[in-house]
Amino acid sequence: MNISGLKSSLSQIQTDLPAPAAPLQAPTAAGTSFKDILSNAIGEVESASNNAAESVQQFLSGSGEDLHSTILATQRADLEFQMFMQVRNKVVSAYQEIMKIQM
Amino acid sequence: MSLLSALSISASGMSAQRQRTELLVENLANSDTTRTPEGGPYRRKDAVFAADPSVAQFSSLFDSEMGSGTGVRVAQVVTDTRDPEKRYLPGHPDADQDGYVAYPRMNPAEDMVDLLGASRGYQANVSAVSAVKDMIQRSLDLFR
Amino acid sequence: MFQTLALNTEHYMSLLSARQKLVASNIANADTPGYHTQDINFQAEFENALSGQTPAVTEPEGLAVKPDGNNVDIDREARLLAENALRFSIASNFARSELNSVKTAIQEGKSA
Repeated sequence: MNISGLKSSLSQIQTDLPAPAAPLQAPTAAGTSFKDILSNAIGEVESASNNAAESVQQFLSGSGEDLHSTILATQRADLEFQMFMQVRNKVVSAYQEIMKIQM
Repeated sequence: MSLLSALSISASGMSAQRQRTELLVENLANSDTTRTPEGGPYRRKDAVFAADPSVAQFSSLFDSEMGSGTGVRVAQVVTDTRDPEKRYLPGHPDADQDGYVAYPRMNPAEDMVDLLGASRGYQANVSAVSAVKDMIQRSLDLFR
Repeated sequence: MFQTLALNTEHYMSLLSARQKLVASNIANADTPGYHTQDINFQAEFENALSGQTPAVTEPEGLAVKPDGNNVDIDREARLLAENALRFSIASNFARSELNSVKTAIQEGKSA
């Protein structure tokens, strides 16, 4: 899973702005910024992905991890990633809406 | 991983029962053997099983806790030490000066029953392998 | 977010695996002199959700001891062998269904 690729996409969104990242850091109705939402989501994906990788490693080295546990860990990480993609898409389209308004 | 260890355990069970079967078959085949390379008539052999903890470890230190499932191995092959059965057959080439021939002390019926037991034991281990393999495949189904 | 998804089912499957390993051990040692049947207290281990790694091995009671000290009841083991495999299969289906529900929910959100 290419976490660094996602991180560069996030920074790309930030640098594409005319104003210095103001809309991204502008609070949404709930009080958190778009940047926060994306950061949190990336964090969750990263942690699930690390869990899965560690689980696979433990299974392969024979140190007691069951096969079904390992597979479930990888499936959870996959779901986190899919969730992240949806969140990212929503954030990007919401951001684009805001940019349109400001024009 | 428990299931892979279980496969090793069942494999050891199959191996032990097979060795036992070979000895029992040898007994039956030699029930009338009056002459052996070691001298004297054939002596009945049997296998003694013992639990084997080293089998259960699937290359892991964590699995080696006491009693967390053990395999089995043939610890010893015991040879019957009872006196052979003497039968009066003066014309027999192996007869001693009194005309008695030493025959193996055997109970073929008992060996037949043991053979059936070993066969059933082997089969039970085969069933265990099959059930465990099914569970492993069901684990893989989680990918779908 | 999904770290606890299907966690109970996973724990159930882990216990079934551990139990099946002991059944395999009992079957392999059905003719070992002095060997005692091994098992785990499934109900207690499952209710104790915190039991991290391996469940405690116990000796079931009420098994007849043969003259050589072995108390394995092959019928009991054959029954458990089939039962554990069946439960595991059901649990696997259940876990898959839990995963698929979430996957569907995420994908349905696409058009929202």
